This record gives sequence, C-alpha cells and structure tokens, in this order.
Amino acid sequence: MAEIAFHNVTKRYGDMVAVDNASFTVADNEFFCFFGPPLSGKSTILRLILGLEKPDAGEILIDGKVVNAVSPAQRNIAMVFQNLALFPHMSAADNIRFPLIERNEAPAIIEARLKDAAEKLHIVHILHKMPGQLSGGERQRVAIARALVRDPAAYLMDDPISALDARLREETRVELKRIQREAGRTLIYVTHDQEEAMSVADRMAILEHGVIRQVGAPVEIYDNPATTYVARFLGSPTMNILPVQRVGEGYEAASGALRIQSQTVVGAAELGLRPEDLRVQPFAGKGSPATVAEVEPLGGYTVVTLTAGDVSLRAMVRGQPDLRVGVQVTLSCDPAKVIYFGASGTTLTRMRGVAQ
Amino acid sequence: MSTIHLQNLVKHFGPFTALKTMDLTIADGEFVALLGPSGCGKSTTMNMIAGMERPSEGRILFDGRDMAGVPMGRRGVGFVFQNYAIFTHLTVRQNLAYGLRATRRPVDEVNRRVSAMADLLQLTTMLDRPSAGLSVNILQRVAIGRSAVMEPSIFLLDEPLSNVDAAFRTVMRTELKALQRQFRQTMVYVTHDQLEAMTMADRIAVMDHGVLQQVGTPLEIYNDPANLFVARFIGSPGMNLLQGQPVETATGLALDLGPLGQTPPLSEPQVAALRQAQADVVYGFRPELVALVPEGQGMAMPITFVERIGARTILHLGQGSASAKVVLENDAGLQTGQVLHFAPLPHAIRLFEAASGIALKGA
Repeated sequence: MAEIAFHNVTKRYGDMVAVDNASFTVADNEFFCFFGPPLSGKSTILRLILGLEKPDAGEILIDGKVVNAVSPAQRNIAMVFQNLALFPHMSAADNIRFPLIERNEAPAIIEARLKDAAEKLHIVHILHKMPGQLSGGERQRVAIARALVRDPAAYLMDDPISALDARLREETRVELKRIQREAGRTLIYVTHDQEEAMSVADRMAILEHGVIRQVGAPVEIYDNPATTYVARFLGSPTMNILPVQRVGEGYEAASGALRIQSQTVVGAAELGLRPEDLRVQPFAGKGSPATVAEVEPLGGYTVVTLTAGDVSLRAMVRGQPDLRVGVQVTLSCDPAKVIYFGASGTTLTRMRGVAQ
Repeated sequence: MSTIHLQNLVKHFGPFTALKTMDLTIADGEFVALLGPSGCGKSTTMNMIAGMERPSEGRILFDGRDMAGVPMGRRGVGFVFQNYAIFTHLTVRQNLAYGLRATRRPVDEVNRRVSAMADLLQLTTMLDRPSAGLSVNILQRVAIGRSAVMEPSIFLLDEPLSNVDAAFRTVMRTELKALQRQFRQTMVYVTHDQLEAMTMADRIAVMDHGVLQQVGTPLEIYNDPANLFVARFIGSPGMNLLQGQPVETATGLALDLGPLGQTPPLSEPQVAALRQAQADVVYGFRPELVALVPEGQGMAMPITFVERIGARTILHLGQGSASAKVVLENDAGLQTGQVLHFAPLPHAIRLFEAASGIALKGA
C-alpha cells in the first residue's frame, strides 16, 4: 500500500532548479511514469521519493504522512537502478536473498520469497548462475526480483531496461507491467523512451526543466497535449506543428498546402497534426501542392517527409505506397484531428473540436 | 570512392568463433547496416573492416586492393564508436579541426570545412564551448562530425546512437542520412535496432550467431524474410509465427494450427510449395497486416495484454503455448480477456519449413 504525493516540492542544486514547485499524486497500485528529456528532473524526483535528497520547499507524503524527515530505510521503498548493481561474486539466488538476510528474516521466509519472486520473473532455472554468466535481460530480471522480495510499499525504477537490445526491451516492458499488476504495488518509473512510457504507464507526467507540464493517461496526453512542448515530446515521428494564417472560414498552413475549415477556433497561431492524421494523395492539379522530400519505409508503415513553402511536414502512411522523392502531392486531413495552439504555445482546443 | 569486398571472412577468438563465414559486397557510396542481436558478429566484422582485428581466414578488399597488413590509419576509414571519444580538454571547434590539423591542411581550408560540418550537424552555436560538460547527445554529434570532416571514403559507425536518448536518436537518423547524401561515402553501420537499419540503410545485412542470414533492401527483408530468425527480428513487433500441419479441407489445402484451428485455404503457389516440401511448416504473418473479421471466420485468440502506444495499439494474443500479436490503428476499446477474431491478409502470409526455418520458395 502506498500513495505517494508531492505538494509544491522544489529542489535546487546551487543556482539550478532541478524540481520546480512540483505537485502530483501517484495512486496506490498505480504504474506511474516520469517522462522528459535529460536533466528535466526525472531522476531528482526519484531521489526525493527515496529520501536520498531533501526538498528545499514543499512536502513529500507517503500514504498521507509527511515523510520529509523520514530516513530512506524507513520509507520502505525499493529502487532498481539503471546499472543493475548486482553483486558479481554472488549467485543470482544469493543476490535476491541479500536484502532479506540483511533484515534478519527467518530462513524459511527467505526461501519462500525467493521462490515466489523467481517464479513470477521466470528465472527459477538460472538462480544458480553468477551475474557474469547471465544475459542482459536475465540480469535485469534478477535485479527486479531482488527488489520484489523486499515486499516494499512501492518500487522506483530509473530507466531499468535502457541497456537492453531493442527487441528485448519490447518484451521486457510487457513483462514489467505484468509483474507490477501481479505484485499489486505502486511503481514509479523513469524512462526516456516514449514508446516504453506509453506502453507501461497507467498515467504519466511530462517534465520540462523541472516543471511538470502535464499529467494524464498516455492516450489522453497523446490526443490532447496541453502545450506545443508536450505535443512535440510525445509521438514518433513528432507532431507537425505549423504556423497558421486565418483565411476565410478557416486556417491555412504550409503556404496553402494545408487548408482546414474551422469557424469556432479564434486566435490560433499554430496548428498541430499527428503524422498518422496527415493524408497524402497524388496531386490533383488544384490548390497548392507539397513535394515529397524523403520516403522511409518501415514495412507496415511509411514515413514520408514533405516540403511546402518553407515548412517541412511528416506523414505516416499505412503500407508501402509508391511515392518517389520529388513528386508533388496534395495534403489533407480530418479537421477533427487538428489541434490549435495560441501564441504562447498553449492548446486552444481539445481533439475533435471540443472547446476547452 | 570505395567498394568493400568481404570474401569468406572468418574470425576466431581462441576456441570461440565470432564470425563463421561472411561474404558481402558493399558498393561505392552505399549505406549498409549490419544488423543483429548481441554476439551476432556484427562488430567483429566491422572491426576487421576498420583494421582493428585481423581476419582468421578470408580477405577484405577495398576497390579490389587486399587490406591484409594495411594498418588502420592507412585504410582511409572514418570510425565512430558507441562511446564517443572526444577530447574533453578541447573546444568543439578544436575537436572538429583535430584531424585536419594533424594532416597539416591550410588554416583557411580547416576553418571552412569545420564551419560547414558544424552547420550540417547544428553545432555552430556551440563551436567555442569546451567539450567537457556537453550532453551525451551533443558529444556524439561532435564525434560524428570529427570523423566526417575528414571526408573518409569509407565511414564506419558502431552503434553510434545507442547511448543517446530516444528523441535525439530520431533527429540523428535524419542527420546521418543527410551527411551520407552530401559526401557519398560508403557507409557501414552496426546496430541491433531494426528501426535504425530500416530507416537509414540502402541495404541491410542481418546476422545471427556469426552467420549472415540475409542481405537486401529494407523492404525486401521485411516482405520476404529468408528464414524464421529474420522474420522475427525485423518489424516492431516481429512477424507472427505459428506451427502448422497441412490438412486437406473442402475448400483446399490449409494448415491445422492445433488449438487455434485451421487457417483459411492457402493460395496456389503456397499449396505448390507445401506439396513439394512435404513437411510441417510455420505459418507467418505480420502483426500489422491483419483484418478483423466476424466470429467464425478466420482465427480466434484471447487478448492477454493491450499496449496503447500513441496511434498504434499492440494486442498480445495467447492460446496455450501459441502466441501472436496484432497491431491496430483503432482498437475500438478492446480489452484483455476478450477474444479477437482476425485473419491475416492473404498477400501477407509467408510459409517456412519448420525443421530448417527456411522460407518456402514461392510461398
């Protein structure tokens, strides 16, 4: 059981504000992800929750109790670091037993917990091996098992699978989510891989320079980013964000290559359109065309980079369309998929045209 | 201008054979990715091209010239590693200029080439910053620039993007391609990330356990994988592969997938290939090349996990020991526990011989 909350927490290192007046609540049993570029405050937030750092202002609460003055050991939170920090001279089993032996648990309890964790993580068959004999993915699972046996109130993981091969990462992230659900514990997770964040998180917080810009379910943030920063940061390829001009009953962007009817939105400076929502068709001879600048086939999808006037756009097209560099095309989109931003970069509309 | 020929290349490290055999021709100005999991022999191959390792057997030719005995410094190759090796006591400008200065180029040429490279790699505003204290992302960019500014005719990159963060990786992919277009170097790129290989390479050489599995354009490899390893490794997620036994049905030859029931009847070329093979086969289809169908038509599998990733949803399906994935753009609120009724698109079905793992020709 652990609900973890920050109330207006600030942490400075000298002149640098690492975490700036952050407030959030992670619910009990939630898989919560902090996502941001390097030095955006993700790891500092983890260190504050663990108690390795003290906030300069604000309160940190675990299950409603202020823990600012509580030592890391008493917070009962287990951490899995990026560099897994297994003891190289101990077998996998001894590594997993270690935190329990340190706490003087009875041997029967230690063995029961070891067995339980090893089964959950599918590592029973490698328990006798030394870390040096294990693959990256196996070491990863041993490190997680070691955190699991402690039976902590919550787990913190700092980019725990970034060292794995791309393919193994895709499998491990699903496994992590399954383990978290089965263990029924709060898990706070830091990653710089957005696909991973969207895959595992029940909710996520997007950070910029120590400030929490948006908190929500991944799909919610993806569909309704609060600012251009968030819009650009989530999604790959990134969202097209284009300056717009008011023309008649709507807006036009990309030197007229993209025209969208909208009577309700007033005062937009930019529009945002996800690459998968930008339609690319052979140039019909009417209106302003765009030009294909680059074609990246991914097999199931093709990423097409287009230029129109002085802007560049990206479309993600299903399948393997026969598009060549230099060809002229007509762009269009469903007006309901367009997001409008004001001059300050804040979203004016919600997806599907609902006024905020 | 450099063509690279790898002929019967073998590399042993003591009793361990890192590279069993490798034959590959890389054309002048071509961008080839060596792709595979850890330990597949890709870096070993790269190190031999660079001259850091000596082949146990076989030859490496640059433009027909045997490189045996030619030291690294004389091969005219540029090399960028996973761990950028930047002189941290120098500024970005001094790092970029280092190689040109060492070869005693005239000052105005050094300045011109350094600023052109800085411009290309968006380093112009950082030229006079000390390298110490720059982010990992920027340091890797400097490392690429420092090598590229020498305009080597062969440019070797060993997982240069694996330490930079995911967002920056996307930017760098575009920049590396732009770099190669401008200088037309022969580019050999080592990676374990199929997405990097798919988006950048003219051709991909897929490797596993010291053996070259397949060479082809990204789409050739995606559409027609030569074997089960390639089918699984390429794509995100990889191809679905289900064990099947041929069965005669009222509508033609199909495959019995055990608890998953029967596949729809196979196409004529597939039937022909199957009759010739006379063996158990693996039924393959891409997770994204699948149609949802009404109950009773096609295959049915329970959903075990749902991953919603932006516009895509990856549905994990499982029935007994069989598992598959389906990628949808609009998942219509599907949940774990529901049964998904689906059918692979007929043109996307691939068959492999179960015993050897090799793709059935014409199927």
